Amino acid sequence: MSPLAVASFLHEAAFRDAVAAARADGRRVVGCWSPYPVEGLPATDAPRGIVAAVVAAGLVMAAALFVLEGWSATRGYPFNEGARPLMSWQAFLIAPIEFGALSAALGGLVALIVRARLTRLNDPAFDLAELAGASRDRFVLALACADFEAAERTADALSRAGAETSRVAAR
Amino acid sequence: MSAAARRWLGEQVATSGTLTDLVCAPLDRGWSKRWLMALLGSLALAFLGALAVGYSLLEGPGVWGNNTAVVWGFPIANYVWWIGIGNAGTLISSLLLLTRQNWRASINRFAEAMTLFAVAIAGIFPILHLGRPMYFYWLAPYPNTMDLWPQWRSALVWDFWAILCYLLFSVVFFYVGLLPDLATLRDRETLGRGWRKIYGVAALGWQGSAAQWQAHERLHRALAVIATPLVCSVHSIVGLDFAASLMPGWTEGIFPPFFVVGALFSGFAMVTLIALVIRHALGLEAIVTPAHFDAMAKIMLAASVAMGLSYGTEWFTSWWTGEASDARFLRFAFTGPYWPFTVGMILANVVAPQAFWFPAARRSPVALVSVSLAILVGMYLERINIIIDTLSIGYVPSFWKLYAPTLVDGAILAGTAGLFVALMLIASRYLPMVSIHESRRLVAEASR
Repeated sequence: MSPLAVASFLHEAAFRDAVAAARADGRRVVGCWSPYPVEGLPATDAPRGIVAAVVAAGLVMAAALFVLEGWSATRGYPFNEGARPLMSWQAFLIAPIEFGALSAALGGLVALIVRARLTRLNDPAFDLAELAGASRDRFVLALACADFEAAERTADALSRAGAETSRVAAR
Repeated sequence: MSAAARRWLGEQVATSGTLTDLVCAPLDRGWSKRWLMALLGSLALAFLGALAVGYSLLEGPGVWGNNTAVVWGFPIANYVWWIGIGNAGTLISSLLLLTRQNWRASINRFAEAMTLFAVAIAGIFPILHLGRPMYFYWLAPYPNTMDLWPQWRSALVWDFWAILCYLLFSVVFFYVGLLPDLATLRDRETLGRGWRKIYGVAALGWQGSAAQWQAHERLHRALAVIATPLVCSVHSIVGLDFAASLMPGWTEGIFPPFFVVGALFSGFAMVTLIALVIRHALGLEAIVTPAHFDAMAKIMLAASVAMGLSYGTEWFTSWWTGEASDARFLRFAFTGPYWPFTVGMILANVVAPQAFWFPAARRSPVALVSVSLAILVGMYLERINIIIDTLSIGYVPSFWKLYAPTLVDGAILAGTAGLFVALMLIASRYLPMVSIHESRRLVAEASR
């Protein structure tokens, strides 16, 4: 069982200062949760690849539909419509643009689920009672500590730093 | 409070907690008698529409006002009108997100919900209008025993992709924006245990950690970057349904951007109406403030000027070409049997919104409701004018026929209005109608 110092803040400024101080002291931030995005917070696992997934999914699926259109119009079912070229690429651009946009959104959603570690309905973080407050109006900080004595001292320090509540928890 | 942010919030909203309580209060309260009455009324209207649709499916399109000349009529006018309204929600939301307009937080959620429902309703009409709606899936490319593939040059196929992709994209955009708020509902003690479980599953285990917020922000912005041109493309495609033809009054290069502005125009009118109702019915006066209506009225005013310019350009082009068919179309629009619709359209879309030059009108609920309703009616007149003016008086005189909708046409339109209201009512009772997490940021900004 590794000890944690967990604090809940009412004000964003105090929370940010506490996170900055913890980082300056070289402490390991196990997690910081907030009711809205707070700039400058350390992400324990910085999400990368979201935009890349959006772009890749959009381009690949748009290209795939364009190829399908070209093949079906010239090989699969060539149809002479008023002597227009079989490969009427200008008219064929419309569906791939729309489909590419949809695919990009779906690719981004999948990337969000993977990178933000969603679908973990029973994540251990939910064992922290303070976490429910983070979806309302509280800012929650959890710091890893070497032992329970150090965790007590850290919790006291967080309390002095403006935390509304602070305590020691075991992980 | 900082003055810039305070403008968008009432005094009652001092903290994130009070804001959360205010937005979630309608969900905590559950069904009210007034809500239930409104829902039953709108469902009754939707049922009437369903009966009319059922009758149309049994008897065929002959029960509509469409004839051999005016082959489009109400179904296509309804489609263009509804998808115009549907375009605005995502456009409003994405444009305001990209331009960092924090006040969007108060209106974007119900604007996006409006989009979902309006686009879904719009999609019904092209399918019904096929005449053989059970074969609509032939528009999709799939290997089949007949070795047939869709006709990719057809505007009908473009519509299929545009509506379907836009609808599904809007669902994803809506859901991504909703995700953190679903977690708020999951953690809300005042809601029933069963509902909290449902919200919990829908929230996908959202915690609000720094990493999750970063990922969420990146995706939301990326989607907004895609949504803005996507919305323009969707209504441009609707404009191309007309412009890609060879009919007088339709072969206009201005149609795609003209349709996009028209969509924004009618969408903002609908958002304003919904905002007025939601603000009063859900007690959100402190979140949807007079400043929001002032901003939306200014956008409607700007759009009305663009509409006036577009009408002028369209008519001037028809006259300037010197084409006999175009000149006949123009004369018919202003002096033919449908002239009241043309005049009504100009009065509603160009003249009435000029009231918004006056600040008092931009903040008066009566003026806002009157002008927004006028715009919605005016935009419907525009949609029906585009169709009947051109098709009633095409190239061949033996094909000139006037159009009159039937009761079935009217019942289907009324039914879709009922369905739209019913869906909005249901959404208002089970989802937060204001983006809570984005509004919290506005509260934080205001308290700095």
